[in-house]
Amino acid sequence: MRRLAAVDKAGRKLGLFAGQKATDAMALVPDLATAEAEPEADATALTALADWSVRFSPAVAEDAPDGLFLDISGVDHLWGGEAQLVADYRARLAANGIFMRCAIADTPGAAWALAHFGKGAEIIAPAGGQADLLAYLPPAALRLEPEAAAQMERLGLRLLFQILGMPRAPLARRFGQHTLMRIDQAMGRASEALTFRRPPHPWFARLAFFEPISALEDLQRVTRDVAVRLCERLEREGLGARRFRIAFHRVDGEALPLEVGLALAARDPARIAKLFAPKVETVDPGFGIEVVTLEAEEVEPVAGRQTRLDARAEPAVEDGLAPLVDRLSNRLGEDRVWKSAPVQSHVPELSARPAAPLAPVPPRAWNPEAPRPMRLFRQPEPLENVTALTPDDPPSQFRWRKQLHRILHAEGPERIGEEWWRGDIDEISVRHVRDYYRVENQDGGRFWVYREGLYEAGTPARWWMHGVFG
Amino acid sequence: MSGFRDGRLAALKAKISAIEAGGRADSESLPFGTPALDRCLPGGGLPLGQWHEFVGEGMEAETGASPAAFAALVAAPLARRGEAIWILRRDDLFAPGLVGLGFPAERLIQVCARDEDEALAVAEDALSTVGVAAVFAEVEAVDLTAGRRLQLACEKQGATGFVIRRRPYGAASRRGATGSAAATRWKISPAASEPGPGEFGLGPPRWRAELERCRGGRPGAWLLEAAAAYVWEAENGPHPLRLVAELGDRQLAPPQRVRLSA
Repeated sequence: MRRLAAVDKAGRKLGLFAGQKATDAMALVPDLATAEAEPEADATALTALADWSVRFSPAVAEDAPDGLFLDISGVDHLWGGEAQLVADYRARLAANGIFMRCAIADTPGAAWALAHFGKGAEIIAPAGGQADLLAYLPPAALRLEPEAAAQMERLGLRLLFQILGMPRAPLARRFGQHTLMRIDQAMGRASEALTFRRPPHPWFARLAFFEPISALEDLQRVTRDVAVRLCERLEREGLGARRFRIAFHRVDGEALPLEVGLALAARDPARIAKLFAPKVETVDPGFGIEVVTLEAEEVEPVAGRQTRLDARAEPAVEDGLAPLVDRLSNRLGEDRVWKSAPVQSHVPELSARPAAPLAPVPPRAWNPEAPRPMRLFRQPEPLENVTALTPDDPPSQFRWRKQLHRILHAEGPERIGEEWWRGDIDEISVRHVRDYYRVENQDGGRFWVYREGLYEAGTPARWWMHGVFG
Repeated sequence: MSGFRDGRLAALKAKISAIEAGGRADSESLPFGTPALDRCLPGGGLPLGQWHEFVGEGMEAETGASPAAFAALVAAPLARRGEAIWILRRDDLFAPGLVGLGFPAERLIQVCARDEDEALAVAEDALSTVGVAAVFAEVEAVDLTAGRRLQLACEKQGATGFVIRRRPYGAASRRGATGSAAATRWKISPAASEPGPGEFGLGPPRWRAELERCRGGRPGAWLLEAAAAYVWEAENGPHPLRLVAELGDRQLAPPQRVRLSA
């Protein structure tokens, strides 16, 4: 059966309502224009709206299908008050063709009730005054379960003041624990956990402009200005951050996020702005940027440093290396700057893994007595025309990269098996054993070659070049 | 009046020499600890605060293994003093191999650049960073301008550059030109090792090192050995490279020069 999912203002005047059967509606209004409901598209649009609303508060939670919760504690002063914030919000939404009902109250429950059932499209409840405003709303304003709401309706409980005054125990027995919880949440006696789009955290700074800006120099300057704002607060707390995320909010509602990561937590606004500088160049300001927000993540304590008196002493990592690593990993990509760290594995290609560039690595982490090549090929290359005595002598000559190598000296074998304890039991096979030889050719070139698998009479051995010693 | 002029001249001369020294009065050098080699180098050792070029031949021009191993050994004392950065075009440098040779790989930061220009730009950036002692760059060629820029970057903080010339696999060398801005240019090729008496297998790795060009020094050719490679005990010698033999080179040996001038 087809039903109406939503009705516009004109439709409501004609007596249509959401949930009505489509056939009934058509009977009532023969020339009714309908469009297919698209719940997924609605959800995407709501998410986009939530992201856009981050300009008003970093803590935005979606209230599907058609609402948003904004935690504006501590941010309303940026607009000069709650009323101004709402007015700005309304104006900007209207510019995008969206009309809103909104309410500000002490609790999400009360704000929801007032926004959905209150008289007027804009209600600002005074602090601690939500009880009086809620009194004349219907019970449905409490976001009750449908059965509980229907039960109240049957008992003639039309307005909330009839319910709010009731003793708690009978209320819970009659309408369920959930009803009690909703009442407590609305009145502020119980807390309500909202799922914010981004977890709220205090390391957030914001700059708004009277006139939209679009010149690159202006963008660079506001990046520095907003960084100064955030870093001042970080410095007061003795903290620094390892990741900064800036967002340029365009006039058309698009938010352009950029991110930089740091090797060591820092709070130097000039350095952060410098890291952002090449990325800011890629920002397309469109018709202008009106708000810029900066968030710090991975906030951690930074030990305050004394300026050294002796400039010739060994320079600290924070002075030279850390900024260099930041510049490089932000310019080239984080996976292109690394330090090799040891892994407890005897399989050569697994024994070194890329670690963070400033991670501590123990000295002599690999056994120097097991010679390993300077260059290890990611893909071992096959050797051709290999002459080697069976079963386990090193090759006496082979052809590699179209060149014949006669082997004068050889060392080995060093037998390296697969890590059978890592894989499945039926994948274990002697074919995965490698016998490595260090060989030297007629010119002194030193190579690391291996024979795959154990010797089997009748089958020619397969030889591979895995690295060059130099 | 003339006294005033002399004073000015002296001041200007001092200024010029300061500029020539790159703003650093003390130009340090890193001796190999072998008189036969050190006397060919200006100041009795590898000049620091400049950049050096290491070239391989034939197959080594592609793998760049021997020049890289040699450069790492030359720079090992520096890497113990400060930070070291290794800039690659291909990510095939194997840290356990460096550790085996006696290079302190625990301080080495590796950077993989996307192209030649990026590699040189990163090298410049790294060289001018406080606390960085050695920068290795594997690039195809360094032209005059790039070489000059590297030199200026070296002079900023006194870092030393080690440029390892390396051709991309399967490609003919695009640029044959070599920068004359390098302080020294070495041609490195592997040499047959000699196992100790009564031992089998391979001896310590050896290289034939030809000093082809050296600003303020003389060219020469030597056979050098990494005596402390692939052993546990930390090397306590002044330099990880040991001279095995002095090689007479037909083109480079001094006797020929004597004959030419006669």
